[in-house]
Amino acid sequence: MKKLMTAVAAASLTLSAAAHDIVPGEPQQQPILLQGGTVYTVVNGVKEDTDLLLVDGKISAIGKDLATPEGAQVVDVSGKHLYPGVIAMDTTLGLKEIEAVRATEDSEETGAITPEVSGHVAYNPDSEVIPTIRYNGISHAQVVPQGDLIAGRSSLLQLDGWTYEDAGERLNVGVHVNWPRVGVSSSWWETRSPAEQRKANAEARKNLKRAFIEAKAYYDAKQAGELNGTDLRWEAMLGLFDGSGTLYVHANDQRQIQEAMTLTKEFGFDWVLMGARDAWRMADTLAEADVRVVYGAPFGLPSRHDEAFDQAFSTPAALADAGVDFAISYPGYWDVRNLPFAAGNAVAYGLDKDAALRAITLTPAEFMGVADRVGSLEVGKQATVVISAGDLLDPIGQNVEMLFIEGRMVDLNNRHLQLYNKYQQKP
Amino acid sequence: MISSNRLSKLAVAMCAALPALVSASQTTTVQGLHDNSSSYVALQNATIITEPGKTIENATLVIRNGKIERINQNNRAPEGARVIDLSGHTVYPGFIDAYSNYGVPEPKKEQRGPWFSTRPEYSNKREGGNAANDAIHSQLEWVNEAASDAKAANDYIEQGFTAVQSARLDGIFQGQAVTLSLADKIANNVVYLAQGRHFGSFDKGSSQQQYPSSLMGSIALIRQTLSDANWYEEAQGKNAYNGPVEYNAALAELGPIEQEGMVFTVSDDKSLLRAHSVFSEFDVPVTFVGSNYEYARLDAIKETNSTLILPLNFPAAPEVSGVNDHLDVELADLRHWERAPGNAAALSAANIDFSFTLHQLKSASDFWPNLRKAVQHGLSKERALAALTTVPARIAGVADKAGKIAPGYMADLVVAEGDLFTDGSIKSVWLQGTEKELAPLRKADFNGSINATIANQEVVFELQGDDKVGGALVIGDARSKLRASRRDESSLSFVVDSDFAGVEGAWRVELEQTAERTYAGVAIGPDGRELSFEGRREAAAEQTNNGEGANVAATDYVSRLTYPNVAYGLDGLPERQNLHIKNATVWTADEQGILEDADVLVRDGKFYRVGQDLRTPSGYTVIDATGMHVTPGIIDEHSHIAIDRGVNESSEAITAEVRIGDVVNPDDIHIYRSLAGGTTMAQLLHGSANPIGGQAQVIKLRWGATADQMKFDAAPPSIKFALGENVKQSRYPSWLSTRYPQTRMGVETLMRDGFTAALEYRERMQAYEKLSRSERAKTAAPRPDYRLQTLLEILERERFVHAHSYVQSEILMLLRLAEDFNFTLTTFTHILEGYKVASEMAKHGAGGSSFADWWAYKFEVYDAIPQNACLMSEKGVLTSINSDSNDLQRRLNTEAAKSVTYCGMSEHEALKMVTLNPAKQLKVDQYVGSITEGKHADFVIWNNHPLSSYARVEQTWINARNYFNRERDQELRVALQEEKQALMQQVLADPSASKGAENGYKREQPSWHCDTEHDTWLQTFTAHSHGGH
Repeated sequence: MKKLMTAVAAASLTLSAAAHDIVPGEPQQQPILLQGGTVYTVVNGVKEDTDLLLVDGKISAIGKDLATPEGAQVVDVSGKHLYPGVIAMDTTLGLKEIEAVRATEDSEETGAITPEVSGHVAYNPDSEVIPTIRYNGISHAQVVPQGDLIAGRSSLLQLDGWTYEDAGERLNVGVHVNWPRVGVSSSWWETRSPAEQRKANAEARKNLKRAFIEAKAYYDAKQAGELNGTDLRWEAMLGLFDGSGTLYVHANDQRQIQEAMTLTKEFGFDWVLMGARDAWRMADTLAEADVRVVYGAPFGLPSRHDEAFDQAFSTPAALADAGVDFAISYPGYWDVRNLPFAAGNAVAYGLDKDAALRAITLTPAEFMGVADRVGSLEVGKQATVVISAGDLLDPIGQNVEMLFIEGRMVDLNNRHLQLYNKYQQKP
Repeated sequence: MISSNRLSKLAVAMCAALPALVSASQTTTVQGLHDNSSSYVALQNATIITEPGKTIENATLVIRNGKIERINQNNRAPEGARVIDLSGHTVYPGFIDAYSNYGVPEPKKEQRGPWFSTRPEYSNKREGGNAANDAIHSQLEWVNEAASDAKAANDYIEQGFTAVQSARLDGIFQGQAVTLSLADKIANNVVYLAQGRHFGSFDKGSSQQQYPSSLMGSIALIRQTLSDANWYEEAQGKNAYNGPVEYNAALAELGPIEQEGMVFTVSDDKSLLRAHSVFSEFDVPVTFVGSNYEYARLDAIKETNSTLILPLNFPAAPEVSGVNDHLDVELADLRHWERAPGNAAALSAANIDFSFTLHQLKSASDFWPNLRKAVQHGLSKERALAALTTVPARIAGVADKAGKIAPGYMADLVVAEGDLFTDGSIKSVWLQGTEKELAPLRKADFNGSINATIANQEVVFELQGDDKVGGALVIGDARSKLRASRRDESSLSFVVDSDFAGVEGAWRVELEQTAERTYAGVAIGPDGRELSFEGRREAAAEQTNNGEGANVAATDYVSRLTYPNVAYGLDGLPERQNLHIKNATVWTADEQGILEDADVLVRDGKFYRVGQDLRTPSGYTVIDATGMHVTPGIIDEHSHIAIDRGVNESSEAITAEVRIGDVVNPDDIHIYRSLAGGTTMAQLLHGSANPIGGQAQVIKLRWGATADQMKFDAAPPSIKFALGENVKQSRYPSWLSTRYPQTRMGVETLMRDGFTAALEYRERMQAYEKLSRSERAKTAAPRPDYRLQTLLEILERERFVHAHSYVQSEILMLLRLAEDFNFTLTTFTHILEGYKVASEMAKHGAGGSSFADWWAYKFEVYDAIPQNACLMSEKGVLTSINSDSNDLQRRLNTEAAKSVTYCGMSEHEALKMVTLNPAKQLKVDQYVGSITEGKHADFVIWNNHPLSSYARVEQTWINARNYFNRERDQELRVALQEEKQALMQQVLADPSASKGAENGYKREQPSWHCDTEHDTWLQTFTAHSHGGH
């Protein structure tokens, strides 16, 4: 077993065969001094041989040869790499346990327009999946309801909680829209003619727009005190109109993105583009319009037959070159643990390493309005720190030995380690 | 008074008076009076094209009793014959369509509800000696159902066709066709050949039986059926081991198929080659109903020595006029739009025989415009005529009586004016000596300036138009426009406001052509007066097209033709090179480990030497790989790329007879994409819908090659087994789950039963071999059974099992079952709980090929762990990492690296999990899998540590041929954009681009997964879980 469990980590790690007795970390009791690591601050570059002092759940100092406060626990991290916790956007963590077993899924409500549902409400903090995600240095995840047109509201949760309340970094960060299909498909399972497809696309688009018009009308009537009663759907969207809420638009095709730009402009929404496979086709436009992009296909196939084999891999570099403000996500649940590797893969195809790290840490924090607390290693921010023996973004480097979330030591044990340990003992 | 009116009235009267020559047969009793009308006709002054390339000018064709009696070169008509003057006309042999369903009943349309509303049917109703599969109708002889159908015949006759070869186009073996005249007579008199070719297709048609649900299933069914037919010829009337041999009309009728031959429909070039392979195994000659994709694989098609029947349904251009339409358009479709009309010319240039068919045309009237398009694309008129006459006559088995104009042949003729292959028109069609008029032989021509003197006034009628004639009356400087013009065959009438003889007003005028340049006219004045006049026409403007010489081949294509003919296709097979790779970090994947600053020499397609500071032999290409890494080509034990029309034959629980090798799709873009990820070899596996699935196919990713050329023949045969949730149909609604097995218990017994049956099958074979001659005369040989034969190959350790498996109980079960039957299970694939029984696997000698880190997507993978590969390896299991995904197959290097991440495997061992170890699992490690002297030069050059996130493939080589190269890829990207733009400009410039067949392109294949269950013929999905495996 290569994971070098430090004394601290080992103490909290119980190698029992019993399923899931992994206890959330206790609130930080004493200062912790991480001594002599390579610190990836995200905002101030990479600092070699640098100490990090964590006090009361916050980073209280970063520097060389920091004095050891009284009662502090000192951890030698020389030769190790220190990162802010990775933030995974666009996941269904905690909403799905076993995809093929319907009873274990809580990700998609019935109906095309369900902005009233919130991801955190069904979040299962005891999901066996979650500890395996933390194990790869991911401290936070945006939990997003899936669905048809308006799917619901997402929440940002830290991944080491007892309940969704104490895990909540920020609840209801925004309303999610899945942009209706555009274009025509020539796949053999598509039985509709191009004309029929276009008609259906236009119909869905109209339905979506109608929902926004309804929501706006509700908002206006509410302002004027003219409502007959409460409508939970439109209540959930009020923030979009008073500027307090964000719209997350899931759109991949260039035409969808263009339509979304037009509509969000018309309504004056604060918005974030999710998915964005075709963003490379319009990177300059997106940069100019200051559209925030969460690129969701870092490991994907090209979306069209004739596109370059590495189109999905090289899109982050294209966005960076054009000056687009972008994050990288790897939508899913169990596979979200590959997010750091996905960011690394973007580096192979032209993205700067620092930009790759930012795209899975600080930029997501900024998009979700929590950059004052997480996403970088800065004095005053949460003591959310990943300690890896090597390069976090590379499978031959990554080896997460410790994870702190708000100063709490996270138990890195998980179902996989438990089974691994158990079967190592099989004769 | 006006002659034309009188004439047309007369014409109507004559039509009514003439009895239609729907003659009775010789065996029908006469009701009423005998019809003994004369059938003796002489077609005089005609240009007669007796067969392609042979023309007789100014001759007389004599026909009697429905047949051609003789051709009088001296142009003399015999005494007593009705003479028809065909001067200015050309007579062709009547056209023949060798592929039709004219005159036979349509298949019954089964009412089938949406999927999951109908219970699956696993077996059919046996009646009247039919086959055990409802897609086989070979016992049917369509002559027994044939009947004339004047309405349907019209579509053909209007295009010049006089005979068709016909059967019901339904199912895999569709029955024996009949060749029929399209004459409107009783069936007895129109049959030209009672037993023609057998018709067939891969499509099971109206059959509701589950099997076959895939293309490979259809091919396997054809193979078994042809084998059964051979067996039945010998076996009928004898005793089998379990009773007398059954009566089987379907097999009996296929007995002489080696002589009778097939006409077989295929959907593209690839399927043509597939059909050719299976039918040539049984020496069955096949004529293919083609797809107009043949030009894309012309050499391979040529090698089959086949004759083709070509539909003329060229595709409509993809829509490109919208500002975003380019987003949905593929280069391959644009290319095919441009080149499909040139397919016939390409076949012709390659000397491949073909005929044309009306089949697949939405409207019969598109036939001639499309045929002319083919001529414009370079098809010679002579070949075009052959494709309508002599070639189809041969295919339809009537070359001794139709397809030519010769004494003794049927009087089936086409009379045309002008050159049919440029702009001529068909005037009449003669069917068995009876004329069917489509247009009058002569029609008055009013084009030009007709000078006349009316009431002493010089006037000019300036006229133009054929069907609609317009123009003006010119008197001196005055011009009056003609109105209310209408015409018939000989006369034109109109109204003109003018004054003749001083009477002003609306004059009614009629002109009748009396000779080529003279006209008789009459004008009726406003006061009722009638003025007769004569007119003379000046020479009309010269017609632009004289036919000959205008036939310029439109072969300056904008599109490139590549292999495969899709984006990123290559111009040809890359050249094999001798190489000296210098200063690389060489990951040998053998005992030499990882060598820094090493050189590799590649000679004659193989690794020749690995060492340091090697000298460059002369003529070697040097690759400076300083700072780069070289690894063996990556090998994927579990892939579903490059498969056409179904990854699962999901119908029955054991389908060992189906072969992925039959449906390899060399056009799949994922071949190229995987090369770009360093993958050079893949085992294409059947899916996991049934416990014993189909035979696998190992390929090298030779992008550009044909399916056969991609197959790696040195790989021993293998087969896919599957266990667990998929095979027990866990995601079917319970009331549809009728197939045995539904539990892991049943999977074991089903396999046991299959193997037992295979052993007993062998015993029967052996027992038969020992019989004496006289005993054999009474005893039927055991029926060769491809399914049991395949299982037997496993037991005889000639075919190796790759078993889809997840949980420990099922793994253990299969180990013990294999041990009971005395064979070694080669590889467990997926094997996500392999770590739980790794020592048991190692002891048995089974390998494991796993996902790096997949889990949680279904219940049986809830205990999957990313340390699985380490634990299996540590316990001595030969372990590899596979993709089962067209995306993951592009980055198996970093998948292997995850065992470094999660459980500290050495990097050398990790790389072996995607190179040498899978080579061993496929039993091809003597050829590939490591950079070892003497092995094939399949290798990858990386810009970085090959297990790192930051690594990218620079070059991928197979057998010392460079199939992927980053620089060339960048060039291709630019070139294909330019080509696409140019083709879109072509489409935008072509006003008729939107005309043509809808859906005229190859449909994109889905990303196949293990559990994609889909009936490719019924177009239904049974199961497909997102991200499932």
